[in-house]
Amino acid sequence: MELLPQLLLAGVVIGSIYALAALGFVLIYKSSRVINFAHGQIIATGAFIAFALTQRGLNFWLAGLIAMLITFGLGMLIERVFLRRMVGEPIISVIMVTIGLSSVIEGLIHLTPYGAGNFSFTTPAVLSGEGLSVLGTQLSRTQLAGVLTALALLGGFTYFFNKSTLGITMRAVADDQMAAMSVGTSVERVFALAWAAAALTAAAAGVILGLMSGLTLGGLAGIGLKVFPVVILGGLDSVVGAIVGGMLIGVLENLSAGYLDGLVPGGGTREVFPFIVLIAVLLLRPYGLFGTKEIERV
Amino acid sequence: MNKLLALTALVTLSSFATAQKNTTLVWSGAITGPTSDAGSSYAAGVEDYCRYANAQKMLSVTLTCVVRDDQYNNANTQRNFEEFVGNQNVPVFLGYATGGMLQIKGVVQETKVPTLPASYHIGIIDPPNNGYMFLPVSSYSENIVALLEWVANKERGAKVALIVNPSPFGRDPVVDARKAAERLGLKITDVQEVGGNNLDNTALLKRLEAQGAKYIINQNTAGPVANILKDAKRLGLLGKMQFMGAHYTGGEDLTKLAGDAAKDFVWATSYYMYDEGDQPGIQLVKKIGAQFERKADTIRSVHYTSGMLAASIAIEAMKRGGKTITAASVYKGLTSMNGSRAFNPGFTVGPVTFSAKDHVGAENLRLLQADATGNFKAITGAQRSKMFQLVHPLK
Repeated sequence: MELLPQLLLAGVVIGSIYALAALGFVLIYKSSRVINFAHGQIIATGAFIAFALTQRGLNFWLAGLIAMLITFGLGMLIERVFLRRMVGEPIISVIMVTIGLSSVIEGLIHLTPYGAGNFSFTTPAVLSGEGLSVLGTQLSRTQLAGVLTALALLGGFTYFFNKSTLGITMRAVADDQMAAMSVGTSVERVFALAWAAAALTAAAAGVILGLMSGLTLGGLAGIGLKVFPVVILGGLDSVVGAIVGGMLIGVLENLSAGYLDGLVPGGGTREVFPFIVLIAVLLLRPYGLFGTKEIERV
Repeated sequence: MNKLLALTALVTLSSFATAQKNTTLVWSGAITGPTSDAGSSYAAGVEDYCRYANAQKMLSVTLTCVVRDDQYNNANTQRNFEEFVGNQNVPVFLGYATGGMLQIKGVVQETKVPTLPASYHIGIIDPPNNGYMFLPVSSYSENIVALLEWVANKERGAKVALIVNPSPFGRDPVVDARKAAERLGLKITDVQEVGGNNLDNTALLKRLEAQGAKYIINQNTAGPVANILKDAKRLGLLGKMQFMGAHYTGGEDLTKLAGDAAKDFVWATSYYMYDEGDQPGIQLVKKIGAQFERKADTIRSVHYTSGMLAASIAIEAMKRGGKTITAASVYKGLTSMNGSRAFNPGFTVGPVTFSAKDHVGAENLRLLQADATGNFKAITGAQRSKMFQLVHPLK
């Protein structure tokens, strides 16, 4: 039975990163009802900016921080240039803009030296020592740092949305744009801030992922799609949902890998299992575990 | 009418003269997309050797070097083949991925244009449609069977697990590995597929440990293998399990990604390593890399050497085929590479030999092991797998 706690623990580690990556979807959806299909590419952008800075001799932590600030600005820019013009347009048009953006950003990354290849951060000295033994399994310092950073950011945003004036304003905009505007709220400012904050968390997720398992454009951008089951399970507009969904999907992935892979020729069930969950959730509870249940009376 | 005939003759002659002055060397592979980590360095190797050949005037004609990104997309590979071979009569095609090469196999046979892939998948040169496909070095299957032989020599009856890429590239050697393991008295406990987004391998490694698998053979690219090694280190399995792999798993790329977790990794490849500076081929790699101002990482990559090998084989075949470079002459040039006329550019641990029946170039391979500094050192001499020829006789 020693396998079960190990799988649970590994699931929580990876789940916390999923939650952080999913947070970006939630931030944007929560404020503007837009699903950003370019989120994976923004994750990759943040990670490669940090990597490029470390390549130029910058300290890893400082590089990560600067990358988060740069992507914060980039998120704001994307909203200003592309999304603001789409206010009031059909949702499918807005989604297509984000799909287009994903291709454009990926193409731009390909123009840099980081578009092709496998890269790895040099592990900072403080993270390269012995890890911690928990429930009979070893967690590396990198994993611990990743989990703690992810939880700190998730906790910070939960607090922000529940307690701060700006966070509550963002929720108000999400609930009813017209009503928010009628009381003088700048919807545009809220949208820009949501995109910027989402990009900042994406960069954090990218840097943590890069540190834990290397940097490849495909791998980092792929996370954008991989966390879809997380946000659907948790509820598209719920920060708590992103956290719970991330943990659940991380754990379910590991349990399926631990107990089902041996039964399936070639294994690989962890790749499929989250999407089975996604289909089940959409069929049974489309608003997820913590999402807003919208009722329309006609 | 006479004027028309004269004009036609003139055009024909002038186009013939043009054909004698130029020829094209084209490579289609993944500079972006999956496996581009290997493809980008491979492309650089092809491009630089081609430029070097022009500078050295290796041929009496000028080579136009075309490096085309197919993004690891079979349809793009096919389009590139049709564009260059079908429309531009390029006499030899340098390809890349397993999937793409298998897809164009029939067209290659039909057009009779010799094709050298970067994939060392044995199915590419298996019948049918295998007349014009040539592997530059020993196949993945032979790499893996050689690793199994090494395991059998160390520990008869050992339990071995295979971790392979979920693609034709990863899956193909499994059949030969199973046959060889049975003959060698080894037990394959599991075959698991792992792709490029393996963020956590705890479940995989704990299951293999529970099965008692002591030797883990990877048929994958360096990225996923590095993540497996890092997780194995974290779980304290590095001393208990011996990790090994076929050509695309190892080299500088692996040590760069896995760091000290790559220590003791056993790797099968036909290529010489960057730090074997006494080898003429490696000296040439360094010289060409410096000449064309490639980054140190690119020059150190074994895939840079691999790209150079493919280009050098094609150019040598062009040279040997006669004055007029055509697909038929390149085929003739390639199949002349045997016996005393074997081609040895020095990039591989043995010479490149081809004939009408022999479509594997540098058949020799070595097993190398990563040391504490991340460098791979040879633990065997140049050899061929004895068992491979029994489990997979080439026709």
